[in-house]
Amino acid sequence: MVETGIEPATLRAAVIGAGPISAEHLRFLKHSPAAHLVAVCDISESLARFGATRYGADNSYTNHEAMLEREQLDVVHVLTPAHTHCKIAADCLKAGTHVIVEKPIAPTNEEFRMLAAMAQWQKRVLTEDHNYRFNEQIRAIEALRDAGSLGEVREVDVRMALNITDADTGLADRNVPNPCGTLPAGILHDLLPHLCYLALRFLPSADEFAVKWSKHSEHPSFTYDACDALLIGGGVHARLRFVSHEWPDCFTVIVRGSKGTVETDLYQPYMKLLVPRRGGKQLTPLVNQWVNGIGLAKSSVTGFLNKVRRRTPLEGIQTFLVETYKALRTGAPVPVSYEDMDRTTRLMDALLAEENQI
Amino acid sequence: MSPAVRLCITGASGFLGRHVVAEALKRGHEVWAVVRPAAGLSHVNWLEDPAVHIVRADLRRPEGLAEAISGCDAVLHLAAAVGGELYTQLAGTVVGTENLLKAMQSAGIRRLIAVSSFSVYGYIGKWSHSTLSETSPLETRLDERDDYCLTKVLQERLVREVSGREGWALTVVRPGVIYGRDHLWTACLGAELGERTWIRIGAWAKVPLTYVENCADAILLCAEREEAIGETFNIVDDRCPSHRGYIRLLRRRISPRPRVIPVSWTLMRLVCRCAWISNQLFFDGEGKLPSVLVPARMHARCKPLRYTNKRLRKTLGWSPRYSLEEALDRSTRDMELPA
Repeated sequence: MVETGIEPATLRAAVIGAGPISAEHLRFLKHSPAAHLVAVCDISESLARFGATRYGADNSYTNHEAMLEREQLDVVHVLTPAHTHCKIAADCLKAGTHVIVEKPIAPTNEEFRMLAAMAQWQKRVLTEDHNYRFNEQIRAIEALRDAGSLGEVREVDVRMALNITDADTGLADRNVPNPCGTLPAGILHDLLPHLCYLALRFLPSADEFAVKWSKHSEHPSFTYDACDALLIGGGVHARLRFVSHEWPDCFTVIVRGSKGTVETDLYQPYMKLLVPRRGGKQLTPLVNQWVNGIGLAKSSVTGFLNKVRRRTPLEGIQTFLVETYKALRTGAPVPVSYEDMDRTTRLMDALLAEENQI
Repeated sequence: MSPAVRLCITGASGFLGRHVVAEALKRGHEVWAVVRPAAGLSHVNWLEDPAVHIVRADLRRPEGLAEAISGCDAVLHLAAAVGGELYTQLAGTVVGTENLLKAMQSAGIRRLIAVSSFSVYGYIGKWSHSTLSETSPLETRLDERDDYCLTKVLQERLVREVSGREGWALTVVRPGVIYGRDHLWTACLGAELGERTWIRIGAWAKVPLTYVENCADAILLCAEREEAIGETFNIVDDRCPSHRGYIRLLRRRISPRPRVIPVSWTLMRLVCRCAWISNQLFFDGEGKLPSVLVPARMHARCKPLRYTNKRLRKTLGWSPRYSLEEALDRSTRDMELPA
C-alpha cells in the first residue's frame, strides 16, 4: 500500500480495561493518526467514562460483549486483570478483531496456543505487549549485539527488584487482593514475563533450568515473592532474579559477550559499555571508565528531564504500539510474533515445572 | 429523621470518620462503620460500643456491599483516597463511590450525606480577598489541578447524578481544612521541609479551618435535619486564622518549635508564573512540576480568600462546639478524645 502511495486505513480501536496501564494505550490512541478510538470499556462505568472523556473516545461501555456486538472494530486492546485475558481475547477474536493483549497473554503455554490457533483460524493478529523490549536501552543493546560489538553473547542477567510487599497498594493491596494471585506463579506471574521475554532476546534456546521460588514476607496475597532461575541454552547462560523485598527498585539487564559487556537499568536509565577501546589492553580499562563516567553524568541530566517530561520506563509501550499499528495497517509481521509469545509462555511454564525446581 | 437512626458511615476508621462515628454514637444512633478489611482499629475508642457494627468491606469491590449495609436509614459517605497515583485515587474515591451508590440502590437506602471537599472549587479565577461560598464556581481546569481535586469533582458529580436520577435525599458537605490531633499541619500554609522547618507562603491569607470534632458535629446535624436535604454546605469554623496567626498558635503548643521560613504570596505567584511560562516554552506545557510551581494548585492552596459558614448556621443553626484555642488544646494536650 505504501508503495502505491495509498494511505492505509485508520484502524478503529477500542480498549477493554480502563485501569492504570490503559493510560499508556489511550495516550497512543488519542494522538496516533493510525487509530481512531471508538470506545473504552470497563466494568466500572466511572472508569470507562473517565477514559473515554479524557482520551476522546466516541463511546464507553461496561460490557465488552455489548461493545463488540455494537461497534465495528478493527483492533481491541485487552488491558484487564491477567486472569481474564484468555476469555476476553477469545471473545474479541470471535468478533473478528485483531487483539493486543497486555502481558501475560495466558497463564500457560497450552492456553496461549489455543488462543493463537483461534487467531489463525479467524485470520486475525494476536499480539502481546512486550513493552520493555521497545525501550531505547534494550534497542541499543540489541544494536550493539547485532553490530558484533559484544562478540558472541555468552551470559545474560535480568534482575528486577520491586519493593512491593511492604506497600499496601497495587499488586500488594491487602484490602483488595490482586486477582493475579490466582495465576500459577501468583502475583509474580504478572511481572516475570518481562524478565523472560528480555532474556529470550539473547538466549537462542532454553534447554536446562534450575529454579528456586521463595517467600520472604508474610504478605498473604503472595504465593512467592522472589524467584531465582538459571537457564542454559545454545551456549548462553542466563540468570533471572525477581525480588520484592530489596530497595531501591531496579530493572537491570546485563549482556556479556566474548568481546564486551553492556549493562543498563530500565528504571534509572544509563548504559555502561565495557569494550576494547583505542589505546590497547593497557588503556582500555581507563578509557572505559572515562567514557562510562561521562555517560553516567549525561544520564543524570536525561533522567531529570525525563521526570519533567513525564517519560517513564513504560515509554516502550508507545514504540510497541506505533510499530504494531504500522504492521497491522500494512499487513507486515507485528513486532511481537507468535514465536516470541510461544517462547515466553513456554519459559514461564518451565520456571514453574516441578522437575526444574532446586 | 427520628432522633436515633441506623447510620452507615464509610471511611469510619479515617481521621474524620472515627470522630463522625463517635459523634453519631454520642447522639444515640446505631452505626454500621465501614472499614477496610486490613484496617487496624487499635486507635479508635468506640470499638466496644454495642451500637457499633463493624463492616469489613472495601468499596472498590462491590460484592456483598448491599447486604452489608442493608437496613440502614442513611449513608454518610466519607471514604476517599487521599493520596497515591491518579488511578489509585480514581479507584478509591470514584469507583468506590460508584459501588456504594449501587449498593444503596440494591439496599433501598434513599438518604445520602456525601462528604466532598473545598478542593472542588476553582481558585485561580477568583479575586483575592473575595468570599468563597457554596455558590462559588467549581473547578473546570481539572487538568491543571491535582489528582485529589479531579477525583473529588468526579465523585461529587457522580453522587449528584445518581441521587437526582433516583430521587434520593442528598446533602453535600464540603469541609475546609480539617485539623485535630496529629493533623495540625496543612499544605495550605506552605510546605514542610523535614520535621523541623516550615515554609510559610503568605502571611495574612486565612486558613479555612474546621476542627475535626466540630466538623463531625456539623455532618451529623446534616444527617439529622430535614432542612439539610437538597443542600450543599461548606464547613468552616467561625474563626479562620491567618497563616501567620495559625502558625504562631501552633508553635506555642509544639515542642521543639519548628523553624519558619516566610515567603511572600506575591513572590510565590511570580515564581509560579515564571515556572508556567518556562513550561510552555520548553515543554509545550506538558512538563511535570511540583505543585507549588503550578499556578492553579498554588492558588488553591494559598490564595488569600474569605470563608463563610453562613448557610450552615442559618439553615441548621450550627455553631462550632470548640473555639480555635480550645480545639488546639484538645489536639495537643494529653486528654482523651471521643474517637
